[in-house]
Amino acid sequence: MHSDPPPSLEKRYARIGVVLIAPTVLVFCAVILYPLISAIYLSLFSIYTPTLAGEWVGVDNYTALLASGDFWNAALNTLIWTVGTLMLQLVFGVAMALLLNQSIVFQSLARSLVLFPYFLSTVVAVLVWRWLFNDLYGILNHVLLIAGLIDAPVNWLGQMPNAMISIILVGAWKYFPFVVIVVLARLQSIPEQLYEAATIDGAGPFQRFTDITLPQLRDVLVVVVLLRAIWDFKEFDLIYLMTGGGPVRATQTLSLLVYEEAFRLNRMGMASTYAVAMMLVLLGFTLVYLRQTNRLEEG
Amino acid sequence: MNASRARMIWSVVTWTIVLAVVFPLIWMIVTSVKPQSELFSIPPTLMPETITFEHYRRLLTDTPFLQYFRNSMILAVTTTVVVVVLGTLGAYSLVRFKYRGRETLATLVLFTYLMPSVVLVIPLYLMMAKLGLANTLASLVIAYTTFALPYALWLLRSFMSSIPVDLESAALVDGAGRMGAFVDVVLPQALPGIVSTALFTFILCWNEYLFALVLVNSDSVRPLTAGTMNMLITSFNIDWSLLMAASVMMSLPLIVIFTFLQGTLTKGFGAGAVKG
Repeated sequence: MHSDPPPSLEKRYARIGVVLIAPTVLVFCAVILYPLISAIYLSLFSIYTPTLAGEWVGVDNYTALLASGDFWNAALNTLIWTVGTLMLQLVFGVAMALLLNQSIVFQSLARSLVLFPYFLSTVVAVLVWRWLFNDLYGILNHVLLIAGLIDAPVNWLGQMPNAMISIILVGAWKYFPFVVIVVLARLQSIPEQLYEAATIDGAGPFQRFTDITLPQLRDVLVVVVLLRAIWDFKEFDLIYLMTGGGPVRATQTLSLLVYEEAFRLNRMGMASTYAVAMMLVLLGFTLVYLRQTNRLEEG
Repeated sequence: MNASRARMIWSVVTWTIVLAVVFPLIWMIVTSVKPQSELFSIPPTLMPETITFEHYRRLLTDTPFLQYFRNSMILAVTTTVVVVVLGTLGAYSLVRFKYRGRETLATLVLFTYLMPSVVLVIPLYLMMAKLGLANTLASLVIAYTTFALPYALWLLRSFMSSIPVDLESAALVDGAGRMGAFVDVVLPQALPGIVSTALFTFILCWNEYLFALVLVNSDSVRPLTAGTMNMLITSFNIDWSLLMAASVMMSLPLIVIFTFLQGTLTKGFGAGAVKG
């Protein structure tokens, strides 16, 4: 940044840099690093939540985890939920971004309105949707009945596979604006000349999309998929508040399992074990994400 | 001729979808002003025949809503101030200084930003019990820091790295100290980014649910999210109009902030996905 400052100055600057970051690092260690490490430590104990009395059990929790039907059930549900809602977010988000990139009336108002679901509290989203899904007075059943698509009111949240479909849909509604924001920003930075050149070469709208738009979006889409996969994977609020993991355990994901284990079944050690397992999966995701973003920065 | 025709078609298609997307929110507002008698009419009335603010009045007088609102406000503002002050200094350090471990630190920040709250909630619950902070607003401020700090740091870092170094260098050449240059030159330029970060962090804290659910259990310290859900769970007959009124009220501060943030939405919400 400066043309060769004397080494003493550089050293002094480094010291200022360290002083500036020090408070952040301290808080980091106290509220994030320490709890993370104690989560790993706790996973080696059997702890009863109300009394917090603990007993060392070593890796017993981990062998129990591998043999536990609840864990594999939750892992499968997490996979179904994540893949399902992510696909919808992606398809719907890209389509919406393409539409909003067209010249339309009140374009900026339309762009703002679409972002609302993303930005409201999950609690609000869930309340609204539970009211829409209400089996007796919900407007969704009415509309579908009038349209003749169903013969009797549908129980949206209380039976399978409806409950899983419902949370996937609400998840898609809540989070697709993230895809819209990122993709729209990228679309606006594609040089217009590329399209002009393609048009002169005789490319139709569809060909322009597959030959120019998609390749240009590729990198940003990879990052979006990774980020959304991480966030959907760890989602708690939406699923917990929509179905509570039910009916029975049909929509219980790993996040909900950790919560239930720790604060309903009062087994904190076991809950920590599940949490550590989640952490390992996310660590994998994060490493892929880092490699991807580093590659983009270099390329 | 064709251009305006195409514009018309695209407009109709897009706006139909946009309205479908925001319909649940329109329905929330409609429900919140419908009289009780109309709420359960079959088929439902699309526009309320009479508009009433009865539910809002009941919400403010008969429920602890205002208490929840106050708690949320204190929590979100306190956390935001703490996090933004720490984050501004930290981000400046990460962007402009060279020392060992800087890159590792930046990576660690990202990693914790992506860490699930359920992993932290158990040790934090134990920690609060040990510190004697169980069931206090302070415990929630600490808990919210765990996601707000990495987020703010990440966002501020991208805002700060887009500030050109020239002016700062000029100030240094003119004999300003490093901190003098920071206060006089960097801060004013970073201010828009800092304000946006503060607003995004506020939203994040305002909307938080899991920590609020686990760490506090009395109305005097419960924030809006947990409080409103509690109204749903504990009521014998679910009062949908009241809950929709609460949802509208809960969203008001966000709508105000939203209008301020128009310009930086991409950066704030796209944090991590869009290079700064």
